[in-house]
Amino acid sequence: MNPVATEAKFMGTVTALSMHEMQNILAIIRESAGLMGDVLKINAQVDFKYRPKMEQTLEHITSQIDRGKKLLEATSRLAHSPDEDLLLSCDLNIYARTVALLSERQVRLKGARVNFTPAATPLPVAVGALMVLMAGYRAVQWAVNTHIKDGYVQINLQAGDTEHALIITPPVGLCPDVRLLDPASISLPGQNARTHWDGNKLFLFFPTQQAADHE
Amino acid sequence: METSDWNILLVDDEVEFISTLAERLELRGLPARVAYDGEAALKAVADNEPEIMVLDIMMPGIKGLEVLQRIKEEHPKIQVILLTGQGKTRDGIDGMRFGAFAYLMKPLDLEELIRTLHEARQGRQEDRK
Repeated sequence: MNPVATEAKFMGTVTALSMHEMQNILAIIRESAGLMGDVLKINAQVDFKYRPKMEQTLEHITSQIDRGKKLLEATSRLAHSPDEDLLLSCDLNIYARTVALLSERQVRLKGARVNFTPAATPLPVAVGALMVLMAGYRAVQWAVNTHIKDGYVQINLQAGDTEHALIITPPVGLCPDVRLLDPASISLPGQNARTHWDGNKLFLFFPTQQAADHE
Repeated sequence: METSDWNILLVDDEVEFISTLAERLELRGLPARVAYDGEAALKAVADNEPEIMVLDIMMPGIKGLEVLQRIKEEHPKIQVILLTGQGKTRDGIDGMRFGAFAYLMKPLDLEELIRTLHEARQGRQEDRK
């Protein structure tokens, strides 16, 4: 194993353990807030001055837990991506969703939003999870840094016989200098992975697991 | 629906989480016992075999998957619902191979858990026929 993989594995192990703790913390907050909500519901006939404020606050807690849960899912997947069983292959459908979740903040800071449409079935590719995440995240970074700063970054998937594609569609309308930028400069790991920019969409192609098995 | 005859065992080392979850289930007519580690879970099963067990995978001492394997060897009728971490789907899939009924991710969605509890009970009743 090369030193980068060793370091990534170390970071992943430590982060995964911390995320496990975070998941328990969120679980306790969710159940405690839920129990408070249950008690308020059971005593619905008891009126008191702060009931609306308490109900509203519980709603805030619940929505923030849902937000934290998504981030937790994505960070846990990132942390586990250097695991042995994900080094050489992964499900592109799962890791495209992870790219979307991890990118939300950087995209929001640019005044845009991420919209992810999952595939209906798993899309196994012969590229490691960490590499898919790196390529996908950099592609989204490229999309928000070189295009107008509003609207949606759309993330889609396309199934193929020999390659599955992660498709990034930047917000409509290009910045004046975008033609100077080359989306192919987004480095993709793996000898068979490649990029293609069709003028509107950036395609990241990954070899399917099935094709790799036949080689 | 008659719910008072449920026999559920919840197992997790996070005491605040699992005891609060038990309270919430009880409020919905689903009384549950709790155990805080794998060893206590095995003892609780030996004392009074539950119909359904909700079992956390990551616990100190005997790990959840080992508890699951031992339970399935000695008490194959118990339906086990695993609790896994976000992003660790593989644990859940391994658990299904060892005979778990389902796996859910923490933090839990209570309605999803209740739905799964009913499905697990239904599955147990169908196995009996």
